[in-house]
Amino acid sequence: MDLVQQRWTAPAVVPAPRAGVRERAGGIRPDLEEVFRTDYPRVVGVAARVLGSRDQAEDVAQEVFLAFGRSSVPVGEAAGWLTVAAAHTALNLLRSGRRRSAREDVVGRQQAAEAPDVADTVVVRAEHGRVRAALARLPRRQAVALVLRHSGLSYDEVAAALDLSPGSVGTTVRRAESRLREELDRDASSH
Amino acid sequence: MRHPTEGVLRRLVDEPAGVSDPDRSHVAGCATCLAGLESARADARAAAVAFDTGAPAVDVDAAWARFTAAVAVPVRPAPAPAPARRRTWVPALRRPAVAALGAVVVLSGAGVAAANDWLPVFRTEQVEAVALDSTDLVSLPDLSTFGELEVTGEVEPSEVSDAATAEERTGLTVPEVADLPVGVSGDPTHLVVEPVSAVFTFSAEEAARAAAASGEDLPVPPPGLDGSRVRLQAGPAVAAVWTQRSGLPVLAVGRAVAPTADSDGVPFETVRDYLLSLPGLSPEVADQLRAFSADEATLPLPVPADMVTTSTAEVDGEEATVLESRDGAMAGVVWVRDGVITGVAGAVSTDEVLAVARGLR
Repeated sequence: MDLVQQRWTAPAVVPAPRAGVRERAGGIRPDLEEVFRTDYPRVVGVAARVLGSRDQAEDVAQEVFLAFGRSSVPVGEAAGWLTVAAAHTALNLLRSGRRRSAREDVVGRQQAAEAPDVADTVVVRAEHGRVRAALARLPRRQAVALVLRHSGLSYDEVAAALDLSPGSVGTTVRRAESRLREELDRDASSH
Repeated sequence: MRHPTEGVLRRLVDEPAGVSDPDRSHVAGCATCLAGLESARADARAAAVAFDTGAPAVDVDAAWARFTAAVAVPVRPAPAPAPARRRTWVPALRRPAVAALGAVVVLSGAGVAAANDWLPVFRTEQVEAVALDSTDLVSLPDLSTFGELEVTGEVEPSEVSDAATAEERTGLTVPEVADLPVGVSGDPTHLVVEPVSAVFTFSAEEAARAAAASGEDLPVPPPGLDGSRVRLQAGPAVAAVWTQRSGLPVLAVGRAVAPTADSDGVPFETVRDYLLSLPGLSPEVADQLRAFSADEATLPLPVPADMVTTSTAEVDGEEATVLESRDGAMAGVVWVRDGVITGVAGAVSTDEVLAVARGLR
């Protein structure tokens, strides 16, 4: 959404700790471990849907919890905050990795030609790449709503997280799914 | 009765309890709505398949161990004394102003807080942080929603070992700081960004689709705009960034070739102004776009006036723009000479930032 970027580099996966929210006077908040243990799997799950990679999703989760740890978000709002943060951070990362995946697609096709026995894996990977590329092209709000809904948040939860009216969540998700499918069909026909 | 909206049909797919009885009974007896429902169901199914991650198992214990190791500060139940005033960064210059700061020194919300449309989730006081975000050293607006965008070059900054390497890679001299402000110490990290350019081909069709997605009609494009191309160029850039032990950047000094734009048909300003009028354009892309000018001597500075005050000062014989957050927690100064922007910014006072700027060698 924001920048057209860039090369994928390993350090970009694990950004140096940066404060997303005000740094607390006492450092990391005391209730962090409890929140971390409760919500970590869900945060990884959201990021993994965006990125299609558990390792990258875990990197995103670490960054998100770091920001949360320095924040004063009320514990009752933690789950919603964390899932939205995970979706945005993962989408940011996805954008930054777009060009890399385009390169991977090319490499993948070459490998498929050279090594038929791994062709299936490559096909699956290419499919994942198309999903991510399509996701990266969606308007941000649609992409987030889509990912949150498919991560199991209810319509009301998605509405609260995105400051939407509950009635418009369905419309936003519907349009996102429609566009996702168009993008996937378009990509598939061009491959 | 009127047909329920596509959003209602979508909700019927996977949360029917949230749909009202009249809507449900209407859909059950309406061929049009049943067709719409089937279509929604098919798209939802396709998305579900696309997102199937096979429920990755995570090891929470290992993750927590990694987290605590990375944070490297003990979890403290009792608050320590409040840090010095200057340690708090303000949201003053989020991404919009980044383009503003001329792609040099970037005062941006951190990665996780970068998305403007996400900010309402936070309470204002909780976003009271701004980090220097090195990924914004050079920025190009993402106009892919409105046409074809072809980017050449790598915007991602890379870290280099020292100032000499940075100079070799970019041809720009890394400004050398004579005296660091109190509270800033250690050696800086050097970052470089290669020159990047993007060729954007406007497409009325894509733009109309983007406008429709935000529920509005596309304003009539000026004649000749459809298919016309503009080229945006930015960088190279270099920066030296000093970081606190916690990982928060505290001072940055940078230099970049000022962003420029040109076009092969309709004048760039016409394209830009039209893009700025489009309903689907996000505020931050708009601000990035405003940073581009056909005249490289001019560097527009879109500044959020409610958060930042601006003034001018002389630095090295040039008129410089001074930016100061309204709470005084952060300051920056930026000036242009011969198409090269130099900037200094940090969690320091205006006097300190000017002292650093004037002392650059």
